[in-house]
Amino acid sequence: MLVADPRGRAQWKAVALPSPPPPVEARPGALSALARDLREMASELVQYRELLASMTRRDLLLRYKQTIMGFGWALLMPVTYMIVFSLIFTRVVKLETGVPYPIYAYTGLLPWNLFASSLRFAVNSLTANHTLVTKVYFPREILPFSAILVSLVDFAVGAIVLAVLMVFYHVPLHATVLLIPIVVLVQLMFTAGVTLLLAMGNLFYRDVKYLLEIGITLWMFATSVVYPVQRIGGQLGWLLALNPMTPIIDAYRSLLLHGTLPPAGPFAWATGVSVLALVVAWVVFHRAEFKFAESI
Amino acid sequence: MPDGLVHFDGVWKKFRRGERHDSLRDLIPAMGRALVKRAASGEGALASEEFWALSDVSFAVRPGEALGIIGPNGAGKSTILKILIRLLRPTRGHSLVRGRVGSLIEIGGSLHPDLTGRENVFLQGSVMGMRRVEIARKFDDIVAFSELGDFIDTPVKRYSSGMNARLGFSVAAHLEADVLIIDEVLAVGDAAFQKRAFDRMKEMVGRGVPAVVVSHQLERIASLCTGAILLVKGAIAHQGSAGECIAAYAGIHGEASADGAGHDGLRIASVRVEGPQPVASGAHAQVVIAGVAARDGTSARPVVGVRVRSLQTGEVVFATGTISHELELPAGPFELRVGLQMNVPEGVYAVESTIGQWQRERRVETGPAALIQVTGGRWFWGQVQMNCAMRLGMNGAGEARHD
Repeated sequence: MLVADPRGRAQWKAVALPSPPPPVEARPGALSALARDLREMASELVQYRELLASMTRRDLLLRYKQTIMGFGWALLMPVTYMIVFSLIFTRVVKLETGVPYPIYAYTGLLPWNLFASSLRFAVNSLTANHTLVTKVYFPREILPFSAILVSLVDFAVGAIVLAVLMVFYHVPLHATVLLIPIVVLVQLMFTAGVTLLLAMGNLFYRDVKYLLEIGITLWMFATSVVYPVQRIGGQLGWLLALNPMTPIIDAYRSLLLHGTLPPAGPFAWATGVSVLALVVAWVVFHRAEFKFAESI
Repeated sequence: MPDGLVHFDGVWKKFRRGERHDSLRDLIPAMGRALVKRAASGEGALASEEFWALSDVSFAVRPGEALGIIGPNGAGKSTILKILIRLLRPTRGHSLVRGRVGSLIEIGGSLHPDLTGRENVFLQGSVMGMRRVEIARKFDDIVAFSELGDFIDTPVKRYSSGMNARLGFSVAAHLEADVLIIDEVLAVGDAAFQKRAFDRMKEMVGRGVPAVVVSHQLERIASLCTGAILLVKGAIAHQGSAGECIAAYAGIHGEASADGAGHDGLRIASVRVEGPQPVASGAHAQVVIAGVAARDGTSARPVVGVRVRSLQTGEVVFATGTISHELELPAGPFELRVGLQMNVPEGVYAVESTIGQWQRERRVETGPAALIQVTGGRWFWGQVQMNCAMRLGMNGAGEARHD
């Protein structure tokens, strides 16, 4: 008889009782766990590198499909800001920067835009792709990282305007320009660390993306983007000196406009902070990853 | 021979019911509560709003095996699959999947609406871990399988939901997987596509790729799987062949919950199928429904109903009740014997009891149910076994009769 399977029924009754707590397992040492996580993160990124390329391609493709201006938008923000701040700092208040002000401002705004648009784009990257995040496994850092790569393409497009400005203002090209990729790399490491934390934070608490808007604006004026922030002294000056974005942006100017190496101390500080931010944020992200599908 | 492997070892998974806080406003009070609770309880303990979605589940699937997971809704079937594909991490225990995982889950919804079908194939392929060259090589097969040839360069937002699901499934079905995870995908697309999808899965399982299958279509489980587990409330209630588990599932179905199903004046305690199983198509089955009608003599007229549902399609194929048979339930315990001629195609059918009340409005509640498996009988194709009689005349010289 199909219905009365006494064995099956008896077993079912047994499990319907309150479940006993499972045995608590011993945890591995913190250091070996860290080493295991780092190995896992690296091998996953290698394994899924094509997905990173596909996601970046997708986002670039979507921009072309959905907007008429396409890459024009990549230029609009830094160029508009450059014009506005040029009016303020050449007509209203004269600001001595050593180079023509528009080019001073643009060399700050271009890398700043790389940073800010990476953050803006990445903060939504996990929540906007929630159908993927809840259905398929892949290293989730792919999503904020592809946001950074898309902004990097914008950065490259924006660099064309910089070249035009340099020709227009007769700024000579120095050999130090060859060191620019190192600065870009440091900036990307710092950006990656911040975006991982933001994307993760926004997944758990949606307030993060609203806070970010205020944060970015404040952070821009705390960085030497459109004026030399080093001229702020006192206790506030001390605080601002900790901001790793200032040495990064100043490094672009030294290498590009003055043909000198950036001051070693601040740049070393920025590099250290960037490496630390990336490693810490990535490990935290990797360890929280398995909670994403049930928390989104 | 594929060398994929699934090993699920003593897995426990804790979930919380109720709403999760995703605004900072809720964070601070929640953290306060969490601190107090952590101090009060140990590691493996449950907070009041938490429950074990899985408790101590273990199984292994080796090459050449396919494991079916059956059980009522909320038993934890999908949680197992999500742990296997690493979307969730077990609270305790280990889940190991060796080899490339092909998860045939419903992914139509994750296609990007603004991209064309072609662009989505490449994107979904790489999301699932395929190399670009691999996708390019299989592209024509994927499109052919989805039958979307003419629409492959149309943005997916113009697709119907069926087309969407077909494209999603087709990509997943072309991943060269070492392990297959299949979740209720047979509900995708029209009947022809479902058959193709099922054949594809059967072919992959036939090649020896180990598979874990979750489905409510017990028929499919029976024909695809070499073994099964019956999951009830997050624990394994029965482990064995697919047939055994389906039988055990029927036992659970037939038993009412502790307080019994019913309302006001009527309670149904059990539904049983008498006699040998499976039943041949066209043969009779005897179902016994036992229960109690109240003696309080309210004006309500209690009605016991019978509903036969195909587990393959989920549709009700037949329903009737005591009122249609001019039966009045007496007060006190009763035993209702229901004879059913199973004029239906092969498959597993749930005989559900219903409790109705013939008053001003009709209220119907579903009570316990039992399963009837129909196999064999004279072969036919279609939806109804019409017990066909055929007579052959031979030029009036004699008659060959067979009915």
